[in-house]
Amino acid sequence: MAILRLVRDREYPSGEIAARFPDVTGPAISQHLRVLREAGLVEERRSGTRRLYRARPEGLAELRALLRDFWDEGLAQLKDAAEDQQRRKGSGRGRQ
Amino acid sequence: MGVSEIDTVICETVIAAQPETVFAFFTEPELYTRWMGARARLDPRPGGTYAVDINQVALARGTFLEVIPHSRVVFTFGWEGDDQPLGPGASTVEVTLTPIAAGTHVRLVHRGLRVSEVRDQHREGWQLYLGRLGASISGGDPGPDPNANPPREE
Repeated sequence: MAILRLVRDREYPSGEIAARFPDVTGPAISQHLRVLREAGLVEERRSGTRRLYRARPEGLAELRALLRDFWDEGLAQLKDAAEDQQRRKGSGRGRQ
Repeated sequence: MGVSEIDTVICETVIAAQPETVFAFFTEPELYTRWMGARARLDPRPGGTYAVDINQVALARGTFLEVIPHSRVVFTFGWEGDDQPLGPGASTVEVTLTPIAAGTHVRLVHRGLRVSEVRDQHREGWQLYLGRLGASISGGDPGPDPNANPPREE
């Protein structure tokens, strides 16, 4: 995950990124880059046959969006669970 | 004031249940895990433990700051782990329950997200944790009771 640190300040081609991590296989680096790109933390630019990567400052806003999704999903499940609970102990319409 | 601060996330919903019913889902572990997490240890009083294991790697940790029965729960919130920008207790979650005709209005305000920290080299840890969280929630069985319904394997 040091990849993100590497590309934070300037753009790097994928080959050079891979070269910085000799202990990691090329496919593994590609996988990491794909995850980072899908997470919106790095952006990819193609130049000829090369792929260049750099960190995206907009990632911050997306972090908040992810957190909002986290709680939104949670509250949606809370709603289901609490309404179910309310029905159970509700006035004579419970399952018991 | 400042509801759109950059360090704050606000989520709201309306639940067709009484505030006391909803309140219990924030304070009783067996009810908490029906909407979030696999395990929870909750000691809902000021200074008490808030510990929710979303899954095996995402461990939410904090401390209750304020607990007013049926209306308000405030706890600090962060993630356990060496590489976490938002360490245990680093941010604050305020939950306000308001009785309305339809049941209960729930307002959740998560504030104290440190912009500077998120921007620095730690942010990938935060991002990945959230990604895992999102996956664990949206990818999991949305059934209300994960304990009663063990996760399905594909």
